[in-house]
Amino acid sequence: MVFLRSEEHLARWLGANGFEPGATVCAPKMNELALEWWGTRLDAGWRPRPVVESQAILDRLGLVGEFWSLQA
Amino acid sequence: MDAFDLDVRRHVYFSVVANGRPPTTAETGVAFGTGEPEVADTYRRLHDAHALVLFPNTVEIWMANPFCFNPTPHRVRAGGRAWTGTCCWDSLGIPGALHSDGDIETECACCAERLELSVRGGVLVEGADVLCHILVPARRWWDDIGFT
Repeated sequence: MVFLRSEEHLARWLGANGFEPGATVCAPKMNELALEWWGTRLDAGWRPRPVVESQAILDRLGLVGEFWSLQA
Repeated sequence: MDAFDLDVRRHVYFSVVANGRPPTTAETGVAFGTGEPEVADTYRRLHDAHALVLFPNTVEIWMANPFCFNPTPHRVRAGGRAWTGTCCWDSLGIPGALHSDGDIETECACCAERLELSVRGGVLVEGADVLCHILVPARRWWDDIGFT
């Protein structure tokens, strides 16, 4: 999961490495996701988050579709 | 993951925040008054449960996500410390986990040009034009977490 400065640089990076495109998220959206996903990591009562709850976080942020499905 | 595993995992994370690094199995053993082999087994169970990540074939902690303990291009200042993020998601996750402001110095994966992002009050206030790319579909993130 990498940072890139533009779509042009993304295309160049994918091509140079022979990677198939995955999903691109703007940094503000990634920040929202990071806050939701990791925001409870340091809670004293932390417990593993059920997959359905993790999927719900992605759904809430509009990260939907097969690429974002946590289960096969 | 039993109650002891959760206690050890909490100790690991609290140690990371307090010391800027994860505890060794020996240090955790002292903290719990238990043997290093038992702690090592617990670290392995936490690794298998994706609650932390060990360096391959060791019981040394590589990631207590979103915190990373191996050099990467992603340097994060948050909560009064300098941290390393594993990837774009985890780099932004460090201020998120600490519930603090944060500044990220990183680089474009294509050209290595320096990129800066800042989070204030949970909001990205610098670097809004930066893109994040995820190559691996979500269902395969843990197949090879180092690559993901």
